[in-house]
Amino acid sequence: MTQLADSVVRMIDEFAKLPGIGRKSAERLAYHLLRIHKSEALALADAIRNVRENVHYCQTCFNLAESEQCGICLDPQRDPTQLCIVEQPRDLMALEQAGVFRGRYHVLLGRIAPLDGVGPEQLTIGQLVDRVAQGAIREIIMATNPTVEGDGTALFISNLLAEYPVTITRLARGITTGSILEHTNKEILADALVSRQKYA
Amino acid sequence: MASEKSLAIVLRVVEFSETSCVVTLFSRDFGKIGVLAKGARRPKSPFEAALDLLAVCRIVFLRKSSDGLDLLTEAKLERRFRSASRDLGRLYCGYYLLELLRELTHQGDPHPDLFDLADHSLAAIDHGADLAPIVLWFEFAALRILGHAPRLDDCAECGGALPDLERIAFGQVAGGTLCQRCREGQRQIISVSREALCVLRKFNETSLEHGPPGLPDAVRGESRGLMQHYIAHLLGHRPRMHSYVATAAIRTAIRTGAVQVPGETSARGGGNSRPSSTP
Repeated sequence: MTQLADSVVRMIDEFAKLPGIGRKSAERLAYHLLRIHKSEALALADAIRNVRENVHYCQTCFNLAESEQCGICLDPQRDPTQLCIVEQPRDLMALEQAGVFRGRYHVLLGRIAPLDGVGPEQLTIGQLVDRVAQGAIREIIMATNPTVEGDGTALFISNLLAEYPVTITRLARGITTGSILEHTNKEILADALVSRQKYA
Repeated sequence: MASEKSLAIVLRVVEFSETSCVVTLFSRDFGKIGVLAKGARRPKSPFEAALDLLAVCRIVFLRKSSDGLDLLTEAKLERRFRSASRDLGRLYCGYYLLELLRELTHQGDPHPDLFDLADHSLAAIDHGADLAPIVLWFEFAALRILGHAPRLDDCAECGGALPDLERIAFGQVAGGTLCQRCREGQRQIISVSREALCVLRKFNETSLEHGPPGLPDAVRGESRGLMQHYIAHLLGHRPRMHSYVATAAIRTAIRTGAVQVPGETSARGGGNSRPSSTP
């Protein structure tokens, strides 16, 4: 027979379902919520409810949004001729934190992974083609992950968009700033050589 | 826990937690293994870019005595599959080889010759080989190594001579060609032309040291169809990559000029040779 109240056990069970949270961590979180002030604990519950009820995908770019369109799509300062394609909203956030890109985004909500049964029809590729077909976009930047599946997805999209008058680029790849050539993997060095650029 | 080293091909990578993944590898010395790669998704991971699909890497892992996953401690990238950013057909054929390795082999059952075959075939696919013969060669050789090679010289049921007909019956359940007497009452029969059968025999007999034999245009579709049916029968289901491979092999063959398109003097550089994005 359990020595904990049913509601505490339920909360521990729910925490343990979260990624990266084991049973022990779930118990710690539960005890923490029982220790803090009631208003703080309820603020967390309120935040979770609020996110689940109000946040959905932007109808244009599929970023997370609280209205029909996200803040980036609604921002008139953003360059409508540049479109950056990412796999997930968290990739968009990482690029935004870099603070360099001033164009708009399109979130695919995944990548093509035929071995796992994920095809193009399960992503937002159809909506991307519709956006490009409208004619305002001049450059598409492929920012899918630099993995075999990410590259395959980018290649699939670039084949699909080849008939439209857009320039398709992809993020540069190669050696990390601050690393030492001698210790760099030969495959990464090969990438860096292939994507070498003019010395400005 | 014993530390082991081997060469391995990455078959599958699944996110496990914020920073770790579970990786399925086909290793040369230990066969198919599942390992936990702790910290693989961190920016300064000890595995660099080695844990990506189709990559060949040199691994060090700790074997768990219990049923749990082995622990990957090191992975050094030996060769990456570069066609992913150049040619979808090659990528899909690479995926297909991974699917076959995943589905046809058992955990911890080493087949160094199958590893060498897969390594060689993936390198050939990546480096521009004609896809249809290399994929068919891999399929035949893999089936032979694993004891599933079809019998094509005589009747797979009675060992008798095959009839002197234009089309011969291939029994999927029997695992080979059938004489007319044994064909009676058999289910899951494929009719194969004598011309295609001659070519398939060459593929079935070619040793691993030699590359794939020639695959004439006229029997490409028939050969692919027979092999796809036979593999689907062996696995009990149709592999996910079958439809992709059939399309990819044909399109790449057209683009490289290995197959002539009717009505065109040469398929090489032809206006319609660009691979479609539709898998």
